Amino acid sequence: MAEPDFEAQLTRLYNEAPSFPDAELFAAQVGASLDRGWAMRRVLIGGAGVAAGLIAAFQLVTTRFSAELQTLSHNGTRDLSADVDKAMTKFSQITATPASVEALWLAAGLALLALGFAVTRMMEDF
Amino acid sequence: MDRLPTGHDVELAALAAAGDRRAYGELVRRHGSAIRGLLRRMGADSAAADDIAQDAFLAGFEQVADYRGEGAFGGWIKRIAARLYLRKVKRDTRVIFTDEAQDGDDPSALNESRTGARIDLDEALKALSKGERLCVSLCYGGDWSHAEVAEALAIPIGTVKSHVKRGLDKLRAKLAPQTEGARREAHG
Repeated sequence: MAEPDFEAQLTRLYNEAPSFPDAELFAAQVGASLDRGWAMRRVLIGGAGVAAGLIAAFQLVTTRFSAELQTLSHNGTRDLSADVDKAMTKFSQITATPASVEALWLAAGLALLALGFAVTRMMEDF
Repeated sequence: MDRLPTGHDVELAALAAAGDRRAYGELVRRHGSAIRGLLRRMGADSAAADDIAQDAFLAGFEQVADYRGEGAFGGWIKRIAARLYLRKVKRDTRVIFTDEAQDGDDPSALNESRTGARIDLDEALKALSKGERLCVSLCYGGDWSHAEVAEALAIPIGTVKSHVKRGLDKLRAKLAPQTEGARREAHG
């Protein structure tokens, strides 16, 4: 037989995919792996969003306290509990002002939105 | 109930690139057996072939946006699978390119619904050394050029050509009666 003829036949034989009795199971396994990977990614993205929201909220709050925290660090451990009490009092004062309360609520709202987004996506996946 | 996605492979791949896992699942259904079969023919045992095929499809999903439809999707995913298998083979270099007797594959997974042609090819491949089998399968099953095989295996192109030639000689001896018969049928 001529070589090109045989090579063409060989290519044709290779192109005939065997039929596996568990073909559907294999496809399902790949699908399940894809779903797992996707769900994990969503959780990570959602988690990152929540963490970012919380960090943002923390930053909003702590910037208000920077001066007080500096004072606290200068004073050191001399009278830590008294300083903490003072800081808590300051915190209460700050949260009592309308602008600060708005900022806190905004940050909390953002964190909740991120959490809600993550939960919704997870529910879509499962 | 949602209908299963249908359409051409290129359309399904575009949907998959947009995140549609069901469309990609249909591509897996269409091409899964071809990939599993190719990996077995390249020399992977059944379990390894299925693992690599699965990894190839998962990697394919990550890269499916790169598939522009220039060639067949089947060929594209075959390349990914072949590369994954070669990576595994290269970790165990003594397996390749020695003319040791061929280890027995596990043909049981193919037994249930074989045609005569497939029996002959799968049986005939057992007569080849692992290196010959790999080179022949990459060239004729994966549509790789000799140069591509040489580069992927980091061996001289002359070595690839001699493996292919020896492999073809063995396959011809095993398959000749069948392919002659098929040719006669085709010509009436």
